[in-house]
Amino acid sequence: MSGTFGSIGSAASALRYHQSVMEVASGNIANVSTDGYARRRVVGVSVGAPVQPAMWSRYDGQGEGVRIGSVDRLVDPLLDARARREHGAQSYLDTRAAALARVEASLGEPAGDGISKALADVRNAWHDLGNSPDSPAVRATVISTSRTLVDAVAAQRRNVESEEADQRMSLLADLGETNTLAADLAAANEAVAAAKLGGNDPSSLLDKRDLMAMRLAELTGGTAVENGQGGLDVTVGGVALVSGSKAGALAVTAGINPDGTSDGQPLALSLTPPGGAATAVSGLRGEIGGAAELLTTTLPGLRDEITAIAQQLADTVNAVHQSGYDATGAAGQQFFAVDPAAEGGPLVLLVDDAADIAASGIGGGANRDGGNATAIASALATPERSYQRFVTVFGTDVASVRRLADTQLTLTSQVDGAREQLSGVNLDEETVTMMQAQRAYEAAARVMTTLDSVLDTLINRTGLVR
Amino acid sequence: MTIGRVTQSMLTDRSLSRLQGSLSRLSELQEHLSTGRVLNRPSDNPADAASAMRLRSAVGAQQQYARNAEDGMGWLDTLDSTLGTAGDLVRRAREVGQQAVSGAASQDTREALAVEIEQLRSSLVGTANTTYLDRPVLGGTTAGTAAFAEAGGVVTYAGDANPVNRAVAEGVVVDVAVAGPGAFGPDGDNTFDHLTALAAAIRGGSTTAIQSGLDALEVDGSRLVVARTDVGARSSRVEQAGIRAGDTELSLTNALSEIENTDLPLATVELKMQEVAYQAALAATSRVLQPSLLDFLR
Repeated sequence: MSGTFGSIGSAASALRYHQSVMEVASGNIANVSTDGYARRRVVGVSVGAPVQPAMWSRYDGQGEGVRIGSVDRLVDPLLDARARREHGAQSYLDTRAAALARVEASLGEPAGDGISKALADVRNAWHDLGNSPDSPAVRATVISTSRTLVDAVAAQRRNVESEEADQRMSLLADLGETNTLAADLAAANEAVAAAKLGGNDPSSLLDKRDLMAMRLAELTGGTAVENGQGGLDVTVGGVALVSGSKAGALAVTAGINPDGTSDGQPLALSLTPPGGAATAVSGLRGEIGGAAELLTTTLPGLRDEITAIAQQLADTVNAVHQSGYDATGAAGQQFFAVDPAAEGGPLVLLVDDAADIAASGIGGGANRDGGNATAIASALATPERSYQRFVTVFGTDVASVRRLADTQLTLTSQVDGAREQLSGVNLDEETVTMMQAQRAYEAAARVMTTLDSVLDTLINRTGLVR
Repeated sequence: MTIGRVTQSMLTDRSLSRLQGSLSRLSELQEHLSTGRVLNRPSDNPADAASAMRLRSAVGAQQQYARNAEDGMGWLDTLDSTLGTAGDLVRRAREVGQQAVSGAASQDTREALAVEIEQLRSSLVGTANTTYLDRPVLGGTTAGTAAFAEAGGVVTYAGDANPVNRAVAEGVVVDVAVAGPGAFGPDGDNTFDHLTALAAAIRGGSTTAIQSGLDALEVDGSRLVVARTDVGARSSRVEQAGIRAGDTELSLTNALSEIENTDLPLATVELKMQEVAYQAALAATSRVLQPSLLDFLR
């Protein structure tokens, strides 16, 4: 049997508890659309009998009311880790898909003014020259269409190069963001540890910590593991980027000058872990991984293929052109050269004078034969087919990356949905919780009133006879 | 995906992403309709893009073959009429020679006939030098302006024996020229020499000489006929090739359009359906996002 005022204590604990419940509900409602906010839930614990009240005594009360067991932040670390992984993969694929789609749009194929149109014009010009090899106008057309073809190939290479320049700039920007975020995350880790030691609620710090870890995963594809002190340790490419309250730094060691231009070497990244030596890292995911892949493999590959097609074109035309004879009956010269370093390259037009075009297939002085021009027109079919194959393969690559990104998006949004299910704030739920707490609070207050009147009876009325 | 717990932001995010999806399908259909093409970039359908590029290049090639055939027809038509005129001139010369044989002609008459033969010869030289687009049609690939040159009363071939080829189909090349000797005989024994000899024979009055001149001209005449027949055969070949190139171009263009052009009725119906779907999604979204428990609490 507890003391006279025991129940008042219980009612007071209920008032305190339900006030906290309403406070937390209002916090949840306030943050319904806050990014990275995980809903909180008050866990009540009934205060019961002490296990061992005192020596030689026993507890005969009915409990001491309620107290706040904990305020839980509803997250699932496994789900968070999964979400970080999927987001890393997603941003990697998105970066690639966006860059490839830009390059693809600039191809101008299959029906635009791309290389295939220029090639078709050149072929027709050679055919026309075969029909009228003596016409200066037709000879000039061959030169001008060839020049257009050279420009079209150069434009293609420039498109790839400017995409490379963009990717280099965005890679540098991403690296800066990564290093800043890593330092911020390290600071947040320290603050979480301090808050836990001081007994403060670290929930909002944890929200921030998770947000930063997610962004780091999107940038680098790094994995984060919770350490003993409530912080997140981030590992990128097998090397620690954030370890407790210390952050490392990710840097470019080769491939990009500080001003964003290329230094001509293959791209290399290194990560200096906290208190360690710089280690080369590769195979990153996320935006940086996507940009690095584009810069090391995809875009240089495209550039090489364009050069290879130019080379084939030059070889094909040169071989036939050199076997022919120009307007004066002299043997044909080289028509094209390939110089990847040239200003308007990789294809360079060597014949400038229309009279130097070797239209005739018959030597021994000037004549009006157009056999060689027709032969060149037919020979152009080979480089044309190579170019068509290049466009098709590239289109397949773009479609496949886009499909992968779409599939990944389904996965990512599924994981995001699962996280939202667990951590998101539901207004109805909060309203119900609030009403429940309100009613419980009213009831506890009612208990107070009842007890008051009971005590009134006991104190003021006992023994009085009317 | 099983949904255990639905939150407001889940509803908002999903509605937004689904509306986005619906809208992007609308914009895709709109692109198909406004460009009139379903293939706007290689990745839309790589296999079809490859066929489209091949077809487009084949269409270009067929157009060029048709143009080549047209140019070849120009050559062959010119040759045909040239050889026809030359045949007429040779026939006329033979008639004149016959007159010289049959009539017991006087010296004056023979002189007049000989002059006519000489005139026929000079117009035959002009005919033999007929040009097409400034090129002598009987001169092969000569860089000069004439197929036959006259020096000191002797006409010799100034052209060469090279063919003038026109590619009229894949791998089909037709020679659209006739070299001068093929029509008028070899140098030293050509139609012009025979005419000169005939004129001299008429002036001389020797019936035997005139008769042998006439015999030579008969051979010349039949050589011209053979050459003209050959030209006619090639002409019909080139014409057929031109028609075939036109037909092929048409069917290739059809195939190309099949692959890359929008099926308008289908796209319009799809657009309408997508529009309805989008409106439904909008309506559903507005209804789902509105209610809240708060509306029902007093």
